[in-house]
Amino acid sequence: MNAAVQQAVAEIRSAYSGHQVDVAPDGQDGAFVKVHDLPLGSQYAPERSWVAFRITFQYPFADVYPHYCLPNLVRKDKGALCSAFSQKTCPGPGDPEPATMVSRRSNQLNPTTDTAALKLAKVLDWMSSQ
Amino acid sequence: MKKFTFRIASPLFSRLQSHLFPGDGDEHGAVIAVGVSKSSRETRLLAREVFIARDSVDYVASKRGYRALSSDFVVRISDYCARQGLGYFAVHCHGGRDSVGFSPVDLASHARGYPALLDILSGEPVGALVFAENAVAGKVWTARGVFDLDHLVVVGTNVRRLHPFVPSSMPSSSPLYHRQSLMFGDAGQELLGKAKIGIIGLGGAGSLINEWLARVGVGEIVAVDFEKAEPTNHSRLVGATLWDAQFFLSSQRWPALQKLGRLLANHKVKIAHRVARQANPHMRYHAVVGDVTLREIAMLLKDVDYLFLCADTAQSRLVFNALVHQYQIPGMQVGSKVPVDKASGEVGEVFAVTRPVLPYVNGGCLLCNGLIPTDRLQQEALSEKERKAQAYVEDAQVSAPSVITLNAVACAEAANEFLLGYLGLLHENQQPGYRMQYSRDRDWQRVLLRSDPGCLHCGNGSVSVCARGDMVALPCRSGQTTLGGT
Repeated sequence: MNAAVQQAVAEIRSAYSGHQVDVAPDGQDGAFVKVHDLPLGSQYAPERSWVAFRITFQYPFADVYPHYCLPNLVRKDKGALCSAFSQKTCPGPGDPEPATMVSRRSNQLNPTTDTAALKLAKVLDWMSSQ
Repeated sequence: MKKFTFRIASPLFSRLQSHLFPGDGDEHGAVIAVGVSKSSRETRLLAREVFIARDSVDYVASKRGYRALSSDFVVRISDYCARQGLGYFAVHCHGGRDSVGFSPVDLASHARGYPALLDILSGEPVGALVFAENAVAGKVWTARGVFDLDHLVVVGTNVRRLHPFVPSSMPSSSPLYHRQSLMFGDAGQELLGKAKIGIIGLGGAGSLINEWLARVGVGEIVAVDFEKAEPTNHSRLVGATLWDAQFFLSSQRWPALQKLGRLLANHKVKIAHRVARQANPHMRYHAVVGDVTLREIAMLLKDVDYLFLCADTAQSRLVFNALVHQYQIPGMQVGSKVPVDKASGEVGEVFAVTRPVLPYVNGGCLLCNGLIPTDRLQQEALSEKERKAQAYVEDAQVSAPSVITLNAVACAEAANEFLLGYLGLLHENQQPGYRMQYSRDRDWQRVLLRSDPGCLHCGNGSVSVCARGDMVALPCRSGQTTLGGT
């Protein structure tokens, strides 16, 4: 992992200090990150999940997206998930595992302020608002 | 012994010159904080910041000479340089024009002060520059000894070079370059012969620029590309033969023979090497088979004098932009685009574009101008398998329309701007900005530049990589490469 990715991981560990954070090198100086037991929102089943994502080697210039959570995520009200959600496999250090992909691209990313930790918080906030 | 050279962006140089030569004929002072770039070719001192020494406050009467930087000023700026990991160069001016040198008083002051400054800066170089009109001399103090500065390069739309004295005569150019030397002059032709130029991407655009640079007499080219020739490149790849693309195997219906064809096909940089050698047998050529996003490859470009970007990935744009700013190398991004509606086949606004990128705020930074999409950076880092797993990502293997004549429009504009700017022949009041030709309208348009002073590449802030040289890492990954002939 390069210095920028290491710093991003440290910021995630700090911002989510009560949560287990798994980190594995992606083989290109980036990292696969999985933060456990995060609240997705009471409208979802399950309400909590791990959230995984990849920080690539050109971070902070490269966006951090998409994010992944438990597979087969549904709304408790039986409503359909919006088009940002889809069922895919989550890349990681081992075999890809089934997951719900949440695609939230940052159209106005500012590499000086938009960190991977902030992006995760924004994704969780967006999910809870849906 | 490798030579030491100094590079300074034209806005910083203008600010320094305005202070040193306000028209009063008096002596003035300043300090330049520098990053360092070391290569087998030379050690470059990269001007990052200029600290103006205010007359009678920071630049005061001296007991041993006429004037000197005040001790408070020296302590403050050297402390800043030490904290930032930058070198320290004191600057003053003498009268006269076209030649300059240090006085015995100057040299004595170096001997008194610079050993201690070297200790404070923990290994970064210290030294001094003395300017006259159209001349500069320098002394570089390092832990290995004291060295003369070879020359100073002002990096701007026009590249300007200053020496301790103006060379009196140049050898006559080869008859091979007679007609163009009537425009460039023997001195200009000599500059081209000493120039080391980088080209990222040796496909449809890069192969054109490669041949033209070789033909005009550029002395050294570093060509970087990892791709092999394919039959679909043949209509655009300068110098390519059907054999290079193994057309007879690649066009067979059997997948095994197609695969063999791809395996045996020639790398684009090897074709470019062959073309360049035919045009200029005496040039030095580095055919680098590899990806510029690999750190080892990108570092091969850090000591070029000019850099062309002819590859169209967001990743290569980011590395190019970092090289330009971090190592103070003037650059040019070249491309053309033919948008075609997939459903109807309708041809959209066809354009060719040249984007000069110079290493300072408002110099054309690709980040500031929104030309490095952050989502594409992320997508291009994925393997083909991972891209397919995400499914919604556009397949990078899908061929985009491309035509050699459209490439040539952008390349000719870029190569001309390089030649004129590198040899100092552009008008100083020429309009800045990118240039786009909308071919279907037969219309050239200028694109005004945007800039962000807080940019991590071109900005003035403490976190910017501008002129940091070897101190910070390029936005690259680790990996291996293959080097070609020289």
